[in-house]
Amino acid sequence: MAQNQRLTVVPTVTMLGVMKSRLVGATRGHALLKKKSDALTVQFRQILKNIVTTKESMGEVMKDSSFALIEAKYVAGENIKHIVLENVQNASIKVRSRQENIAGVKIPKFEYFTDGETKNDLTGLARGGQQVQQCRAAYVKAIELLVELASLQTSFLTLDEAIKTTNRRVNALENVVKPRLENTITYIKGELDELEREDFFRLKKIQGYKKREIERQLASSKQFVEEQFAEKVSLQKGISIKSAQNLLSAGEKDEDIIF
Amino acid sequence: MTFNIHGGYLEAIVRGYRAGLLTAADYNNLCQCETLDDIKMHLSATEYGPYLQNEPSPLHTTTIVEKCTLKLVDEYKHMLCQATEPLSTFLEYITYGHMIDNVVLIVTGTLHERDVQELLEKCHPLGMFDSIATLAVAQNMRELYRLVLVDTPLAPYFSECITSEDLDDMNIEIMRNTLYKAYLEDFYKFCQKLGGATAEIMSDLLAFEADRRAVNITINSIGTELTRDDRRKLYSNFGLLYPYGHEELAVCEDIDQVRGVMEKYPPYQSIFSKLSYGESQMLDKAFYEEEVKRLCLAFEQQFHYGVFFAYMRLREQEIRNLMWISECVAQNQKSRVHDSVVFIF
Repeated sequence: MAQNQRLTVVPTVTMLGVMKSRLVGATRGHALLKKKSDALTVQFRQILKNIVTTKESMGEVMKDSSFALIEAKYVAGENIKHIVLENVQNASIKVRSRQENIAGVKIPKFEYFTDGETKNDLTGLARGGQQVQQCRAAYVKAIELLVELASLQTSFLTLDEAIKTTNRRVNALENVVKPRLENTITYIKGELDELEREDFFRLKKIQGYKKREIERQLASSKQFVEEQFAEKVSLQKGISIKSAQNLLSAGEKDEDIIF
Repeated sequence: MTFNIHGGYLEAIVRGYRAGLLTAADYNNLCQCETLDDIKMHLSATEYGPYLQNEPSPLHTTTIVEKCTLKLVDEYKHMLCQATEPLSTFLEYITYGHMIDNVVLIVTGTLHERDVQELLEKCHPLGMFDSIATLAVAQNMRELYRLVLVDTPLAPYFSECITSEDLDDMNIEIMRNTLYKAYLEDFYKFCQKLGGATAEIMSDLLAFEADRRAVNITINSIGTELTRDDRRKLYSNFGLLYPYGHEELAVCEDIDQVRGVMEKYPPYQSIFSKLSYGESQMLDKAFYEEEVKRLCLAFEQQFHYGVFFAYMRLREQEIRNLMWISECVAQNQKSRVHDSVVFIF
């Protein structure tokens, strides 16, 4: 596809007006989208920073919680995992998602909430109860962090998509739509100019003709007037120049003239 | 005098097994390991060799623990089939604790509608008995008792301490602890019946166990909905703390009060002095250490059954140590390894 083609339109004044308004629209849209893209990029960088810190602390927290599990297993016996699992009815920590609006982009955000108390307070009553509670606390912390990280990562991905789309649109406007519109406008203007010039030229030509006509007529009428005047003068003198001339110039023989 | 006629062979066997327990040097080697494969290599030089040989790497910490437990179970079964009365009953008593755990596990699992096969896999191998799978069939506790438990050796514990109404509502943990209390008291009576060195040594060991359970129950029930009366019901009827210590423990509301109570009894004073104020994390380790000390003392005397009990418990502690070490290595927490390893020799 050739760069900067123009749209095929009929080059009329109306079309010029239409194109001009489209160009104005494209320019304004371009500015707005650029602002949106900048805002999104700022948010994006912010989220990126948060993700980095959260992931680092995630590593620590997961390590701690796994270790807490080991301690619990040590004290309360290997089977503590199974005992706790078997005692569970349903999850006590649940996650729900909300929609948040960042610079026009809808981003899902996750938050956790506790739903009902666990009745596992007496687990490991005879041995290891403390460790089990500590383990639970450590894992709850880990879950909080994980939920936050999940929110951040989804918003990261969504923002990324949004930024790509917006940038694509900005670039498209900048590099394709506007040049095309501008070229079209130039073309239309060119065509209109040419038409105007043609008209002008035609007008001029016709004017020229008319002037020459008038001059010729004027000249011929002047000559006629002079001849008439001369005739009149010669007649007064007793000769008709016209006929005298005729005599001299005529080819017919007059009997009265010997030579 | 006539001990050796019936018990001599097995006592010799158990002393042989005891010699195969890991020593401090072994533990030091294991603590130096960087990966689980190193651990496997070191263990293959010990008695655990043939059990771990066939495991493909990458090795998992749970596999190590499983195989070690398997070895323990094999040794136990070997001893059990060679034993005569009353040694065989004694050996069976040792495993009732695990049986209680397994029964409670299956019952809770069934209450929450889990698959029986999965539950059976999660049971401790030492606590298996023949009709264990039928536990899953019962729909409520009454049927459970009537159909299954009445044939097992655990039957008397259920009937003594629980009336049939309680079976349905009672919290699982309370049930487990009530059963365990009945078991301990029964074991204690049995040992007293046996008399002689066995009674002496086993009483001491079981008393320690009962006291330790009492302290743990007290500490772990601080701040929960367990009432004082319920708490008192879970304490056993023997041991150093019975009955006055139990009275005092029942009214304790925080750890410092517990400490105050325990410091009146010299053997426990030394344990509690190791802990700083307000900290109870290391209490379990301190108890384990004390237990190991007493268990080792049991081997000093001959001609009694206490050596079997001591050996089983020492093996379990060893398995715990191994699990701790391998998990620390696997999770790159080598600095914490020495926090909880209890050396046996």
